[in-house]
Amino acid sequence: MKKLTLFCLVLLLSGCVEKEIIDDINIEVGVGYDLAEDSKDKYRGTVLFQEFQPDKSVINRTFSGSGKLRQDLLLEVTKQSSEPVVTGGMKIAVFGPDVSRAGIYDLIDSFQRDASIGARVFVATSEGKAEDLMKGEYGTRGNSTYIYNLIQHNIAHRDIPKTNLHILAHDYYQKGKDPFLPQLKKVSNDKIEIFGISLFKDDKEVDSLPVKDMFFFKLLVDKYSEGNFDVKLKKGELAAVKSIRSKHDIKMSDNHASINIKIEGIIREYTGDELATDVIGAVQKNLEKKIEKECLRLLKQFQELGIDPIGLGQMKKSKQRDFDYKKWEDEYKTLGFDVKCNVEIEETGIIE
Amino acid sequence: MKEQPIPERLQISPFLVFYLVMSMQIGIGVLGYQRIIAMDAGYDAWISILFTGACVHVIVWMIYKIGETVGGDIVTAHKYVVGNFIGKAICFIFIGYFIIYCLTIVRTFIEVIQVWMFPEISTFWFSFGFMILCIYIVFGGFRTVVGTAFFGLVLPAYLLLTFGWAIKFSNFYNLLPILDHSIKELLTASYHMSLSLAGFEIIIFFYPFIKEPKKSQKWAHLAVLTTTLIYTILAIITFAYFSEDQLSRQIWASLTMWKIVEMPFVERFEYIGIANWNLIILPNVCISIWVASRLIKRVFNIRQKVGVFFVAAAVLSVISFVDTRIKINMLNKYVGKMGFAFTFIYIPLLFAAVMIAKKLKKGKNK
Repeated sequence: MKKLTLFCLVLLLSGCVEKEIIDDINIEVGVGYDLAEDSKDKYRGTVLFQEFQPDKSVINRTFSGSGKLRQDLLLEVTKQSSEPVVTGGMKIAVFGPDVSRAGIYDLIDSFQRDASIGARVFVATSEGKAEDLMKGEYGTRGNSTYIYNLIQHNIAHRDIPKTNLHILAHDYYQKGKDPFLPQLKKVSNDKIEIFGISLFKDDKEVDSLPVKDMFFFKLLVDKYSEGNFDVKLKKGELAAVKSIRSKHDIKMSDNHASINIKIEGIIREYTGDELATDVIGAVQKNLEKKIEKECLRLLKQFQELGIDPIGLGQMKKSKQRDFDYKKWEDEYKTLGFDVKCNVEIEETGIIE
Repeated sequence: MKEQPIPERLQISPFLVFYLVMSMQIGIGVLGYQRIIAMDAGYDAWISILFTGACVHVIVWMIYKIGETVGGDIVTAHKYVVGNFIGKAICFIFIGYFIIYCLTIVRTFIEVIQVWMFPEISTFWFSFGFMILCIYIVFGGFRTVVGTAFFGLVLPAYLLLTFGWAIKFSNFYNLLPILDHSIKELLTASYHMSLSLAGFEIIIFFYPFIKEPKKSQKWAHLAVLTTTLIYTILAIITFAYFSEDQLSRQIWASLTMWKIVEMPFVERFEYIGIANWNLIILPNVCISIWVASRLIKRVFNIRQKVGVFFVAAAVLSVISFVDTRIKINMLNKYVGKMGFAFTFIYIPLLFAAVMIAKKLKKGKNK
């Protein structure tokens, strides 16, 4: 008797919660935000779904809607979609230039509030409209997978510093540090490229770094970096240096920040005759000088913009009790920098 | 009047106290204690956890001293100090405490399910099913409850490893500089930590059920130590993972940390984690029902089964009325205060009273 009641209960209770069967829902895999054209306080969102075909190909489907809140957008999109929309599979979120300049806090807050959105979502800005970027046809595995992988392998092997939704929120809420995001650009209908790094002050984009500065930027903000860099020598020869490991060490003293960068790298390509020891030495010297110069320029640029993507304020706070962030903001304006770089070329490939 | 001793076949081995204490201490609090302590002491709050842990050791020592002196549980201790009638009247309060404790755990866990997984799940029907399971376990007797505690701790233990994912995205500079907060702030955080570490006080209720209670004391201390360390390590990882303002917004910081977990076969690990957490909650609820019903039996001299039904009915009849975040939060706050008053104020007082009574009785006997 007892068993029978239990059995009945199991049957009854299993119907309590709404089911979501994967074939009968639309999983939002990406989203792009722009400001609506008609009114400035409304968002225009483009939601990306992927539809898996029986022959294993993927069809990208986008729906656009506008509203003042993220939920309004979802509502609008749900009106157009034949299946209920769920957000649990979101992988990328792209902000158009007008949204990122106006401030992204509300959207970030909404992402964080939503229990079904993961922390590994890649957030990026776009050079043109986010809607156009979402509407292309990239690769064969669906747009969101394409963009996700594009950012992913560029973080692992190239010049984008480690980023995702969690790091964005962490930096945004961290006093003495400002967030940054990778910037994407749609080149043609089937091509997309990394265009640079967007720099934020609080939640508003204030400037962006071009691709050529990304190598130095990553050296400054991230610990391990695997980037490529070309060094020009005196006689016009070129050497491509690939850094295997890099480390930076920031020392803060009164009104001065000294940054030590250490790189271990290998030479990948060389256009001169022979890669002799003195040439390697010259490559090292030139690279060191170049990094010192460029990093210093970036630091000065950040100082002028009044932003701190490296987190010097946080660094200073961690060394000092009763730290006053208000005072630090003034101090930062007159902070002096020096950058020391130490490059070590370990290998030169399999020929000399 | 001499009390009937518990027959040996109903008693438990001393080392099982380790699982009982630990599974009672680790419950719903783990999901979100980080924010509450960081509100007071910022990122120095991990020091407060260690401090509270040390205090808990003292209380555990007192509990064993009480048990040893009076040779029984809290009802015996009351009888020893103030006599039969008043002693039972005081115990009456604890029946209420454990019913509310049970209610709080179940309701808070259902809230987690509602916010993170199924918003439309019915509070009443879920707790109804859960209570049937708990009644079934408690009917099996104390040893079955202990068995649940063992599995409720060992099976979900792997969940601790999943917090390792967060380390990759952590910045341990967040914790520096150490000791940036005043002693007062640290003590306030310790006070708030006491709710999460509470649960060890159940020893005083099942003391007569332990075979050779003296031998179990080291296991109780070991349990408290392990729990404290788990809480401290998890807090340090959390502090490194979130920036301070960010953490102040996270109601369930531990669950939010699961958002970073990435496995090839599961997109959202929270679903697995929360479902597993059910196993951690189960002994919490079972033990508190057992304690409440045991007290009912001792105070009113009725069968324990009646008490179990009474407790379950009481929880079920109230649980639907606690329906918003604000009410749930209030409930948690009150239970926290009651728990603090009971463990850190009442038990030392009882300890002092028992010691004085012992002295006086010795004097009389001479």
